[in-house]
Amino acid sequence: MQGYGTVFRLRHLANSHGARRRAMLSRVTVLCFAGSYIVAFALELSRLVFRSSLRGLVMLGFTAAGLVAHTAFLFYQAERINAQLHGVGLPLSSTQHWYLTAAWLLAAMYLFLAISHPQVQFGLFFLPLVLALIGVGHYLADPNPAASPPDPTVWGLIHGISLMLATVAVLVALVAGLMYLGQAQRLKRKAIPPRGLYLPSLEWLQRANGRGLNVGMAMLAVGIVSGMVLNVIYAERHQRFVPWTDPVIVSTVGMFAWLAGCRLAGWAYRPAREGRKVAYLTVVSFVFLVLALAVGLLLETRHSGQRSVRPILQWHAAAGLEERASARGVPAIGLAGPGTTAEVVSPKRPGSPRRIGS
Amino acid sequence: MSIRVVGCSHHKAPIAVREQLAFSSAQARNALGRFRQRFADVEAVLLSTCNRVELYTAAETHSPPSREELVGFLADCHDLAPDQIDPYLDDRSGLDAVRHLFEVASSLDSMVVGEPQILAQVKQAYQLATEEGCTGPLLHAAFQAALKTARRVAGETTIHKRRVSIPSVAVADFAQQIFERFDDKRTLVIGAGEMAEETLRYLRAEGVQHVTVVNRSPERAEELAHRWNGRALPWAELPTALAQADLIISTTGASEPIVSASLFRQVEAQRNGRPLFILDLAVPRDFDPAIGDRPNVYLYSVDDLREACQRNRAERDKQLPRALRIIEQEAERFLADLHHRATSPVIRRLHDQWQKPKEEELRRLFNKLPQLDDHARDEIRQAFDRLLNKLLHPPLASLRDEARHGVPHALLDALARLFRLED
Repeated sequence: MQGYGTVFRLRHLANSHGARRRAMLSRVTVLCFAGSYIVAFALELSRLVFRSSLRGLVMLGFTAAGLVAHTAFLFYQAERINAQLHGVGLPLSSTQHWYLTAAWLLAAMYLFLAISHPQVQFGLFFLPLVLALIGVGHYLADPNPAASPPDPTVWGLIHGISLMLATVAVLVALVAGLMYLGQAQRLKRKAIPPRGLYLPSLEWLQRANGRGLNVGMAMLAVGIVSGMVLNVIYAERHQRFVPWTDPVIVSTVGMFAWLAGCRLAGWAYRPAREGRKVAYLTVVSFVFLVLALAVGLLLETRHSGQRSVRPILQWHAAAGLEERASARGVPAIGLAGPGTTAEVVSPKRPGSPRRIGS
Repeated sequence: MSIRVVGCSHHKAPIAVREQLAFSSAQARNALGRFRQRFADVEAVLLSTCNRVELYTAAETHSPPSREELVGFLADCHDLAPDQIDPYLDDRSGLDAVRHLFEVASSLDSMVVGEPQILAQVKQAYQLATEEGCTGPLLHAAFQAALKTARRVAGETTIHKRRVSIPSVAVADFAQQIFERFDDKRTLVIGAGEMAEETLRYLRAEGVQHVTVVNRSPERAEELAHRWNGRALPWAELPTALAQADLIISTTGASEPIVSASLFRQVEAQRNGRPLFILDLAVPRDFDPAIGDRPNVYLYSVDDLREACQRNRAERDKQLPRALRIIEQEAERFLADLHHRATSPVIRRLHDQWQKPKEEELRRLFNKLPQLDDHARDEIRQAFDRLLNKLLHPPLASLRDEARHGVPHALLDALARLFRLED
């Protein structure tokens, strides 16, 4: 009897502890970590104006605090969505979370570089990109989780993660490319380094740029191949697929072709992979990346990034989960069997019908 | 207690005098041995670099060596007459000597202010003197404080980051911004001028290993290549060397460019677009300025770098007052500590003398109160200690305050007489 009471008390303690943790995590908002990154960026800017021995530490502190809050936010979102989906579907699979996770990766990369190269102003280049990803994710991207089929496949995970890594790698290459152009221009002008602005050597920047592009290209290849496999699986099992002419697919393949073409040219003709040419090519790669992301955000597409939570609930219903969903307060909606195409209204753009069901 | 430095530097003594007074490592060791024999109770460090020869001494005795004795000692070491060197020697003592040592270690007194080698030379000089048994607590404290001051100056100002000589600016502000590492780069030296050698010194410090020398005179090319563990090439192979090089230093006395834009375009294809750093130190220039417009070519002439040097000098001058303030603070703090240290025997005696009655009173009290347990005894003992410390605090604070301006002999005497302190 006493043992039963102890177990009950322990369970109660665990539950109350979990509830307190969830309540604490739920208070972390996008503003918390975006604010920390903004302060870190302002401190980075102030390096151009005056010297301070303490600033580096404070800047790292704000970035680290931002990253911790960012992690807590994503963790809470993953838990919340997982509970909402009853384990069916992938957490953090919405376009919004995809952007916020990419921002997290980029911020982590910045923190690593800021610690390993404290004298270099990486933040001037990295933090605006981090903030831009957060801004686009928060204000423009669809917050609803991507629909997952009743038999979710690992290919979906590979597809999403590889494209995210490709995006981050191209952004890192862009930062290295922009720093390269700035440094090369200063050296050509024969000017001494301006106060407070220290950039790495051209050799280091070129290497970082090349590695970023190589990783980006490899990840894009993995993303495209996994997307193709995913499409074939869906077509076979559920008679649903994203058309090969979908704007997201076309722009992604176009970007891959551009990167592959540049790398091939570099391997065949060495001067094409030396110096400012590579930096300019990286800027064009970034333009491709922006195009691919903008296409996903703004155009009509049947790619996964534009799915809504509703089809998932439709699958729940189809899988006999309707009652559980209703019990947890999820609104009951009309049924549509898996593999069919449903028409939903995006909460971000009311009145804009979108075809769902890929 | 006194600290004194007698010596000469590039400020006052011409190179001929500095050469006469310079000590090799072996000579310095020998000189320090002789110094110890002549002045048994005096500490000494001998600092000899290409720009200065200085003898630092410190003594606790009331009769430290005079300037004449130290000048005589330096002259004897080189079999010179004291009158020959006396006009070129500076003599500093007390705060002046400490401040000078700190400025030397911080590279503020160097010919090229901010050059980093001097700190290592100061350390070596101190180490040599220690090995010879010439150092003691005074110079140990002085040199440790000098090293700490040098670190503060380096950390809190940008003086050391601002190079002012053309080769050092070329390497630190330009070559290092192009290349991350130098051990895998090929350096081509065209001509055999002094500036090329000085630049090579900086590059070697950064790790340059592969040096090729091309000169119209094969003998001079061989000689320079031999000095730098490199290889010499005949003049006719200049285009091949240009195609292979990553860094080029050119210092010929040619009256017109030796590398024209058209010659460079011929070798450019073989370079595969690799970045090229060219330091054209020749006047008139050895490289056609149009070469600098080619992609991945970074061409710098003396005039380009002179401007950078002037800007660096101006930036450095802005930092100089801050560096001097650090020196002043540290020198005053060091002397105050030194003077305070002189009071320590009196403080120790005072403390010891008051311990005896305290222990007697405690023993008497504990005999009268045998029922006290260990805890109560500890409490009482601690109360007595606190009382003693409170009673001693005012005289010790007065001693510390007075020590800021020198050893407080009068106060020490007064304390000794008031409290009947015995030696």
